[in-house]
Amino acid sequence: MRFIYFAFLVFITDAAISGTESDTTDVADFEVSKEILAIIGDPEYGEYLAGDCTGCHQADGSYDGIPSITGWDIESFVWAMQSYKQKVREHPVMQMMAGRLSDEEIAALAAYFETLE
Amino acid sequence: MKLNRRTFMGTAAAASVSAPSVYAGGHGKPRVVVVGGGAGGATAARYIAKDSKGAIDVTLVEPTRTYYTCFFSNLYLGGFKEIDDIGHSYGKLAALGVNVVHDWAIGVDRSDKTVSLAGGATLSYDKLILSPGIDFVDGAVEGWDLSTQNAMPHAYKAGSQTELLKAQIAAMPQGGVFAMVAPPNPYRCPPGPYERISMVAHYLKNNNPTAKIIVADPKPKFSKMALFQEGWATHYSGMVDWIGSEFGGGNVSVDPGAMTVSIDGEDIKVDACNVIPAMKAGRIADLAGVTDGNWAPVNAADMSTKADGDVYVLGDASQQGDMPKSGFSANSQAKVCANAVRGALTGSKVFPAKFSNTCWSLISTNNGVKVGATYEATAEKIAKVDGFISATGESAELRQATYEESEGWYAGITSDMFG
Repeated sequence: MRFIYFAFLVFITDAAISGTESDTTDVADFEVSKEILAIIGDPEYGEYLAGDCTGCHQADGSYDGIPSITGWDIESFVWAMQSYKQKVREHPVMQMMAGRLSDEEIAALAAYFETLE
Repeated sequence: MKLNRRTFMGTAAAASVSAPSVYAGGHGKPRVVVVGGGAGGATAARYIAKDSKGAIDVTLVEPTRTYYTCFFSNLYLGGFKEIDDIGHSYGKLAALGVNVVHDWAIGVDRSDKTVSLAGGATLSYDKLILSPGIDFVDGAVEGWDLSTQNAMPHAYKAGSQTELLKAQIAAMPQGGVFAMVAPPNPYRCPPGPYERISMVAHYLKNNNPTAKIIVADPKPKFSKMALFQEGWATHYSGMVDWIGSEFGGGNVSVDPGAMTVSIDGEDIKVDACNVIPAMKAGRIADLAGVTDGNWAPVNAADMSTKADGDVYVLGDASQQGDMPKSGFSANSQAKVCANAVRGALTGSKVFPAKFSNTCWSLISTNNGVKVGATYEATAEKIAKVDGFISATGESAELRQATYEESEGWYAGITSDMFG
């Protein structure tokens, strides 16, 4: 149920932020494998990698035109980043940023951002 | 207080490019001095102070109490921002524990590991991070030097110069001429001059619609060229005359007293003129003896200089490889550098360098475009991995979303820099 709700949020966000024509069916159907979800991220590495995020996404969770990414649960964070990495979800910056991250690095970021309120 | 203004006389003795070893000094906490409080320096100071949790003394030397970002200063020229919207103070950095010193760094003694300040103080460092931005190459545009910058502003260090240029554009007579002398590569913010043309055109279209814009450019092409030219043709038809190097755009001299610009032998009377000369690293990098030519060569893994492993150069002043000189790049480099410096001084974990950049530009109201790339450290340089650029012919909705994204980025990067 959470994924369905989250997919809806993704659709709204994509429309609002990237303005691109996401294939919502693909995004809604996108699933992350159990193996990827099982990776335990290193929050210290995540904190370092987060430097690549906080140049745009504010660390205090404020929204001024770019969505907040703080305080997400790990599964939702990994799902969102994997959907960009695997180019299911549209956005040129995010596809580029997620595209160069390994599954372990995405898990590390998720572990770190979950700790931020 | 010791005043040490010895000029550094050579580089060989102090040269050190070995892998960083953990600091083992005998004078209390390790000390980092950061010179320059912009996208590189403020970010580096903030991250080292924040992440070391008091284990490192961080001093930031920045002459201005209010820092005006060069990025988004064109939006002020276009009337989309007030000057106060792009001004930032250092209060939150001070609250974080950064010792913020409002003074000019006027010398570096790399053998004594000290920085001397114009006010007379001397700061000792274990690691020195220079992020001085740009200065202009002497004699780059015939007839122009810093003594004429009020008649023909560069407005490429934001603040009073930007306000002056805006006032001069506003004072142009109806049907008057605005000229820009564009810089040769490499220079700060590759799309910057062309976003500026767009913003000046936007202002003139609304306030002085018969005015003309002439750009003399020493380059045959420029960043986001197709996107800007499409935008100029669509929104500012007949207003912008861009003269590239193939048509004599690089053969330029100016007469600030007479307010004339000579382009390929033709003298043109102008009402406002923005001269953006060729650039070089901010002067302190040269005084520190870490430059080679106009810029400071650095190692891609940590932004340490090729000349001295304890001196780092960030942002515009560095010669690092493929990254454009931009605020985003400097911010990205600063975080890699901060991680490496902290590791060297406290033994904290050092992670592999990853860099990224995105540059947004505004062409007209709600019409934003962007270009970006990711980068990695190789033995030779910071090397491009992947990239993207906005396309011509994009929908108005997408352009508006891109503009709104740039507003979000501005809020994000400035909070990442200043807290």
